[in-house]
Amino acid sequence: MGDDPASATHPASPTELLSPDDPRLAPATHHPRRVAGIVAVFFVLSFAATVALATVYSLGGQTQIEGGLLGVALGALGAGMTTWGKYLVPKGPFVEPRDYEDRHDLPSKPEDREAVVGAFGRGASIFARRKLLGLLSLSGAAVGAVFVFPLRSLGPQPKGAMFHTAWKPGTRLVTAGGRPIQVQDIDIGGIVTVFPEGGENDPDIQQTAQTQLIRVAADPLATRQGPTSWSPSGYLAFSKVCTHAGCPVSLYEAETEQLLCPCHQSLFDVLQGAYPIFGPAPRPLPQLPIYADADGYLRARSDFLEPIGPGFWERGASDGSPYS
Amino acid sequence: MTTDTPMAPLGAAAGWMDDRVGLAHWTKKSLNKIFPDHWSFMIGEVALYSFIVVIITGIYLTFFFNPSLHHSIYHGPYKPLDGQSVSDAYASVVNISLYVRGGLVMRQMHHWSADIFIGAIVVHMCRIYFTGAFRRPRELNWVIGVLLLFLALINGYIGYSLPDDLISGTGVRIMFSVFLAIPVVGSYLAFFFFGGNFPGTTYDYRFYIIHVFLLPAIIVGLLVAHLALLWHQKHTQFPGRGATERNVVGTPVWPGFAFKTTGLLLMIFGITALLGGLAQINPIWLYGPYIPYKVTYLVQPDWYMAWLDGALRLMPRWEVNMPGHMIPTVFFPAVLMPGVAVPFLMSWPWLEAKFTKDNRRSHHLLDRPRDAPVRTAIGVGVLTFFSVLFLASATDELANFFVISLNVVLPVLRYTLVILPFITSFVAFRICKELAQVPKAGKRKRASIIERTPSGGYALRDSEVRPGDEPDEEEPVPVPAVSLNAMADGRPSGASLPAT
Amino acid sequence: MTRLRLLPPLALLAFSASVGLTFFASSSQAQASATARSTLTPVTSATAPTTSTPAPTTSTTPSTLSLAPYSLEDGQALFAASCASCHGADATGSSRAPNLVGLGPATIDFWVSSGRMPLSKPSVEPEPKPSPFSPPEQLDIVKYVSSLGPGGPGIPDVNVAKGNLGDGFSLFVTNCAGCHAVGGVGDALSNGLSAPSLFFATPTQVAEAIETGPASMPRFSSFQFSPAQLNDIVAYVVKGIQHPRDKGGDGLGHIGPITEGLVALFLGLGSMLGILYWIGDRA
Repeated sequence: MGDDPASATHPASPTELLSPDDPRLAPATHHPRRVAGIVAVFFVLSFAATVALATVYSLGGQTQIEGGLLGVALGALGAGMTTWGKYLVPKGPFVEPRDYEDRHDLPSKPEDREAVVGAFGRGASIFARRKLLGLLSLSGAAVGAVFVFPLRSLGPQPKGAMFHTAWKPGTRLVTAGGRPIQVQDIDIGGIVTVFPEGGENDPDIQQTAQTQLIRVAADPLATRQGPTSWSPSGYLAFSKVCTHAGCPVSLYEAETEQLLCPCHQSLFDVLQGAYPIFGPAPRPLPQLPIYADADGYLRARSDFLEPIGPGFWERGASDGSPYS
Repeated sequence: MTTDTPMAPLGAAAGWMDDRVGLAHWTKKSLNKIFPDHWSFMIGEVALYSFIVVIITGIYLTFFFNPSLHHSIYHGPYKPLDGQSVSDAYASVVNISLYVRGGLVMRQMHHWSADIFIGAIVVHMCRIYFTGAFRRPRELNWVIGVLLLFLALINGYIGYSLPDDLISGTGVRIMFSVFLAIPVVGSYLAFFFFGGNFPGTTYDYRFYIIHVFLLPAIIVGLLVAHLALLWHQKHTQFPGRGATERNVVGTPVWPGFAFKTTGLLLMIFGITALLGGLAQINPIWLYGPYIPYKVTYLVQPDWYMAWLDGALRLMPRWEVNMPGHMIPTVFFPAVLMPGVAVPFLMSWPWLEAKFTKDNRRSHHLLDRPRDAPVRTAIGVGVLTFFSVLFLASATDELANFFVISLNVVLPVLRYTLVILPFITSFVAFRICKELAQVPKAGKRKRASIIERTPSGGYALRDSEVRPGDEPDEEEPVPVPAVSLNAMADGRPSGASLPAT
Repeated sequence: MTRLRLLPPLALLAFSASVGLTFFASSSQAQASATARSTLTPVTSATAPTTSTPAPTTSTTPSTLSLAPYSLEDGQALFAASCASCHGADATGSSRAPNLVGLGPATIDFWVSSGRMPLSKPSVEPEPKPSPFSPPEQLDIVKYVSSLGPGGPGIPDVNVAKGNLGDGFSLFVTNCAGCHAVGGVGDALSNGLSAPSLFFATPTQVAEAIETGPASMPRFSSFQFSPAQLNDIVAYVVKGIQHPRDKGGDGLGHIGPITEGLVALFLGLGSMLGILYWIGDRA
């Protein structure tokens, strides 16, 4: 049974017999009866809580009582067991030699290592066939690569998807409820999220084409992004997707005419053309060119002139972008 | 085993089993295995047991959760959602929370224990780091541990995203942006992982199977390896009380450790249940469903992802533009930083050995943090760095709470992030040096008693040692074997030391 | 000792009884959750209205509170005593304070009834506090200031009981949660501004704020919210935010993951580490 001559050198000799009243066999507490009583109280408490829990649950349940009783049931049981294990069993200290099977250290004995090398050596002829091994590696790698192919099926290529949205020349701006907007509908200092008409209920169009329509007092107004013709009656439209990490930029401070992103607190100056003036956003929110038609309905002149939202590797590439 | 004891049936069953598998030797060794008694050695158990709570409660939740992003108009019993467009995923979580009896306790326990699990991993890792327990021969287990932390973070983030509520949906949107920020292949990876442009209707299915199967399977596998290595290599220990490089001093598995650790498991389960019932976490029915253009302020990830969120906030707006291509600003905090931090953490045991020229083959006795001031200083600096990032994920809340302008909080935290780690690092180094000068620092003082001697003089002596003041000075002995017969007879237990 | 021998069988009996009760009574539960699911009406997503916000077909003028019962003279006296020093005797404003003529009853009532006006000191930022005026006095002032010039919305007459919570929740998240947060706790904006907490606002004040856009808040037109929708939002603020359904226990301030993380780390993990400290050696 794993007799180890080395352990004979240990301070406490294995041949020595511990006397029954050795202090190391005594429990850790001087009052075992009292502690046993405490343990019993814990167990009874746990049991009572379990019964109460079952009753509460059967009567329809209530989250706070359920959680409380379950906590008491489990916690008291655990506290009882731990108290038992800490105070009522031989306190030690005990020791074991740090031995690994037949040795005192983790590394195997040299002769065992030799034996492994020897066993491996049985296949020496394999390593001699260099060309065959090369072919094996090649085919193995090829077969491995085959398992990468299906990853391609996980989704479509991005292609131009990142470069355009559902806004088209002449598309009316509508609210989330689908109502088109006329110039008199929004007060100065007002803001509303708009979508291209017909796309307001499609989550994918909501995501890419969401636009903040803001009405400011300044009119006519040219921004750093667009001429006065893009902002009829003081209406300015900016992509709602933050150019930093893509959150909807939805906090509008009407007094200072600034847009704030709720996720990472980038601040955009609306009158400047939503240029970032604070925080981590690197680029302005693209401005949507809009106009008011003869009936006063607001319409898009075109799509955004640059990709909306956060940056990506191909952004601004001459190939793939319809706006090169 | 004799047959005339009350334990006879157990003995018979054990005999039956041993006839077939022959594990008596292994079982004896396991029951006698020594675990060191220092409290800090059990932090890893807190992580392990929280993980068990996560698994148990998580399995229950899968019976109700529906990972579909298909939207319908809600007309269920919860009135504030009436008439709103909600995904099946969101509706099913509302149902678990409000209309499955006991469901909310399970759901909240799952969330609380996940938060605690990752916290315990971090504290456990600090213990390993500051005591030098990662040194040879335990580098492998350090690497596995870092991997476990990293995978637990990812799985937590994905799990938090599953309900498709207003806050987590925004988090998924940011995840998509982080994919996009990877140079060259970013947009392809994002489209492949999400099954197209965000949001689409695919990702929740994928997140779900990753969250409940793929990552848990890997985590369980690594955990088994972690524990097997620990078991095989045996614990490290602090010096003192007979502890040497060649032994392990403490409590044997049976009975002391088994009772204590099972009790710990139950108490951890119990605390999680108390939190799960009494403290509300992630009340998604109050947040509403995720709709791409809707958002709330105070949108935050769970605490363990806050360092990344904070890094996103503190990062200056640098973007690398090249002809036709760009590296977005998100790349630096969300891809590059973790991409550097994780390999750096993993390689720490080798880095330290290289710089300290430490080529000892084994380090079973631990350092106290003060014994390795440089290591402690570096650790404190790194912890400070991540703590500032953690704080930075609440810039808005800090500004609101302390009534300071947001425009002040951000630059202050940017400078703090760069400067504070050096200060805390230096302070930690000095404290280590000072402590090393005082051998008895940290020990409780003993009162001095002045006595009048019979000859009329005065003498000074130390007071009696109070219980718990001094470690047990008994010489540790090998784990004894005790005859069950003797116990059954009610005789005082005789004990014999084992042959091994 | 002999009495203790009775404990195990008694306990067993109690346990089996409670387990039996549990399974018997829980059969109705399965039905409840089944119905909860079947009430989802599947629709094709392309045609589904994301928010069931019907176009307002009725009049866009909301019903307003009549100021007839209130006293012009008392209002004038109160205005002269508490407001005129900054806003001027004719309420047209001064270098220290804006013009009030033509703003309408809703604006005046919002600032006065929420206690933001009068300011305790001219320099401080307006903060909600208990108003020094009684409610009738507040309306006296409103009546007087409104009488100085026409214009602006009247005090909206809201009825929380009539509000539709579903529409209110949806509209709140779309239009209000960005700044006030979905739990209504409010948060810091840029440049030292902040969105206030909604916990203590009265239904009328919420409606007034939406219609008039006080301070940094944007103004929402009657095109954006019909009177019914305004009422829905107010109802959600009262029922969903001021009285949230905290089925899960303590709401932890409704701040979200920040407080949750602190509780998990300090209360949860902290108490567990405390237990370890008890179980293990400390030397």
